[in-house]
Amino acid sequence: MAATFASKCSRVGRSLWGGLGNNLSGLLSASHETACNHFLSQQQRTFIQMRTVLKVVDNSGAKKVMCIQALKGKKGARLGDTIIASVKEAYPNGKVKKGKVVYGVVVRAAMQRGRCDGSEVKFDDNAVVLVDKQGQPIGTRVFGPVPHELRQKKHVKILSLAGHIA
Amino acid sequence: MALSTSRTLLRSFASLSPFARCSNSTSYGDSLWSSEPRAIFKALLQEWKLGFPSLSRALYCSTADFKKNELLELQEVEKVLSDVRADNVKVIPVQKHCAWADFMVIATGRSTWHVKNIAQALIYKVKQKQKGAQRLMLPSVEGQEGGKWIVIDSGKVVVHALDEKARDYYSLESLWTTGTSEKEPIQDLEKALVKIRRKNNSKKQAKKSA
Repeated sequence: MAATFASKCSRVGRSLWGGLGNNLSGLLSASHETACNHFLSQQQRTFIQMRTVLKVVDNSGAKKVMCIQALKGKKGARLGDTIIASVKEAYPNGKVKKGKVVYGVVVRAAMQRGRCDGSEVKFDDNAVVLVDKQGQPIGTRVFGPVPHELRQKKHVKILSLAGHIA
Repeated sequence: MALSTSRTLLRSFASLSPFARCSNSTSYGDSLWSSEPRAIFKALLQEWKLGFPSLSRALYCSTADFKKNELLELQEVEKVLSDVRADNVKVIPVQKHCAWADFMVIATGRSTWHVKNIAQALIYKVKQKQKGAQRLMLPSVEGQEGGKWIVIDSGKVVVHALDEKARDYYSLESLWTTGTSEKEPIQDLEKALVKIRRKNNSKKQAKKSA
């Protein structure tokens, strides 16, 4: 399990052991921890809005999409919301081509989302799964972790195609 | 040394994934020291089963005494599917690798109308079960407008009604029977990057170096 995580991490450009090592060293030195976790020194993450580039985590053929509209919410889309996006980068032989306007469901967001038990969940990147207008996923598999919030938002199809559920 | 490795493992469980971070993950981590991590993690995930109406019921069902108050039971689902004459009904127990559902039922419909009918029949069964109750708790249905793939989520049992084409396209059984990690796309990538020597089918005589 750690090996698959490490391979996924290396793709993003971060090493799993590096991250865990940071956690451990943070545990040991309290002053370092408080300096790192000080709220003013951390980046404030916001919504997914127009011009946000997101990663595509299914095998529909697209690699990167740019959000052009968040369907619900005045400020932008959050975890579990649907967006309209334009494909900016795609694999050569895939179901979607570059320049196509698609719908997508946000499955990972850097902005934290509160859960009903009071905890918050946030991810390291912004990721989206492409769907059609009726909500059917275009790809057949979803990679990486997906949160439980999709069940509340009636995206059980994406949950059932996903391998790992956070 | 063993304690530190187990601590790193528990920390990775407590943070839910290498990418996800919980704000109060340290509090979960403290509770994880004492007992077996996997069971506690599964219990936490069960608590976070959001979305379907009988959330509180499912919590009590899983932890406290066993109340037969689920929206849809497995036997009822099978009976309804056989009544509606759905093809190729498959029941997959996913308790081991899915924390949010216990059984996945996949059924095929012969046409979009048939798929919609399967969903309607299941909802009718739930309504019948709750006849006379003050409030009707219905399972969540997705994909009702287009009749290609309808998912009925009733807590422990998730029913997928697809048509033939969608079933071949998504191939859900291969996803759940082989386990959580999907190895296929990585293998294709490896094959794509391998350099293959071109086949030499020319009839020209090879030059012999003297």
